[in-house]
Amino acid sequence: MPGPDFLPRKETHIELDDTELIRRIASRDDGALEAFYDRYNRIVFTLVFRIVRIREDAEDILSDVFWQAWQQANRYDTSRGKPIAWLLTIARTRAIDYVRSGKKRGTESEFDSNAPAQPDATDPFVLAGLQRAVRLCLEKLSQTQRVALEMAYFEGMSQAEIAKALNEPLGTMKDRIRTGMMHLRKCLKPYEAPL
Amino acid sequence: MKHQQLTGELQERALLYAAGALEEAERTEYFRHLQEDDCAVCKAEVLESEVAAQSLAMMLPMQTPSESVKQRLLARAQAVRENERPRPGAQPKKSAFAWGGWAVAAAALVLVAVFLNFNAGLRQEVQSLNARVMELESQVTAQRTLLVSLTSTQTKVVVLGGLSSTPQARGKIFRDDAAGRWRVYVEGLPTAPVNRAYQLWAVPATGNPVSAVVFNTDASGSAMVDLATPQVAGGIKLAAVTEEPAGGSPQPTTTAFNLLGTME
Repeated sequence: MPGPDFLPRKETHIELDDTELIRRIASRDDGALEAFYDRYNRIVFTLVFRIVRIREDAEDILSDVFWQAWQQANRYDTSRGKPIAWLLTIARTRAIDYVRSGKKRGTESEFDSNAPAQPDATDPFVLAGLQRAVRLCLEKLSQTQRVALEMAYFEGMSQAEIAKALNEPLGTMKDRIRTGMMHLRKCLKPYEAPL
Repeated sequence: MKHQQLTGELQERALLYAAGALEEAERTEYFRHLQEDDCAVCKAEVLESEVAAQSLAMMLPMQTPSESVKQRLLARAQAVRENERPRPGAQPKKSAFAWGGWAVAAAALVLVAVFLNFNAGLRQEVQSLNARVMELESQVTAQRTLLVSLTSTQTKVVVLGGLSSTPQARGKIFRDDAAGRWRVYVEGLPTAPVNRAYQLWAVPATGNPVSAVVFNTDASGSAMVDLATPQVAGGIKLAAVTEEPAGGSPQPTTTAFNLLGTME
């Protein structure tokens, strides 16, 4: 009787939820890795590229991120959050480590600023409603809060470094980051964690 | 030490950690606390805060990596999977004397097949690793060149300070006069409006400024530009950045400098 092996591999994985994909990746199912990659490569790449700014290096880090997921899937703990949150944490950590190691950063010209501002329909984990919710939440941040958060999250700058760069007192900067983050948390809470 | 209940201070630390804003020593200690102390209170706070921070990534212009990344990743995974596949030789053996000649021959064939398969997997992995090594060597060479350039005693640093409407902007020019190159780093300079750009000028003591390069900053206000040393008769006195029409101007259209620095 024809079983799943008779179907193209991706067809057997594409409908699986993230946690099941991680479970299968842990059992060395490279089809699950492929499905997981197809689902999240763009959001991970976008984050990494934004941080390191060099396409070639961002692609190397992207590969390393999914390779780490392949190797550590057996240690993934569902209490640690959704797989995409786990993946993005790995991605940011690797990208920031790269920047802090003193390697060069590229020009923004390598980052395609004409691309769509939000994930498209091929990224099924993000629904249109959630995209709007996130956008609304981010738009409610003050400009100064948003700049401080982006300097910390994308540039890997500490609160003291940001305060110095913006010529603001450290206490002000700490408060700005804290209130900005709290706003995002509260605003996104009703949407059951979009990521 | 595990915390029993959430306090304002603990929440603030989790928020700053998730945003990536803690100082390095604090970050290291807090990471240790999460891992070794296994503090459920702090872990829950970090988890919720990380999701909030990650939402920043959702609003970035979506980028697409090249297809080769996926191919390389899957080839690597398949090679490892092949190597890890249980080999028949590892199974519990029955007495060889109980097997007939055909069984021995079949086992030999299986072993040959496994060996060939294993060998193919190894070859694939070696190819993948060789390609990776070549890429890394290329990166290391480029980084060494940059490092040599930036740390050379020949390289002089010009500090650019923010002026006018962008007092928070700052920058540095690494001048390698021997190589005839400038590497310019800028931070805190908001992206120029549509149809506008920033232009770096090499300003002589007397005479008109000379355009060095036209550039723009990213959404975070940063830019890095590599350019040939501007040729200015009589030497360069100042380096200045102004906002100009996209594509640049023959001469500055404003005296409202965004950045200014004095050459040594």
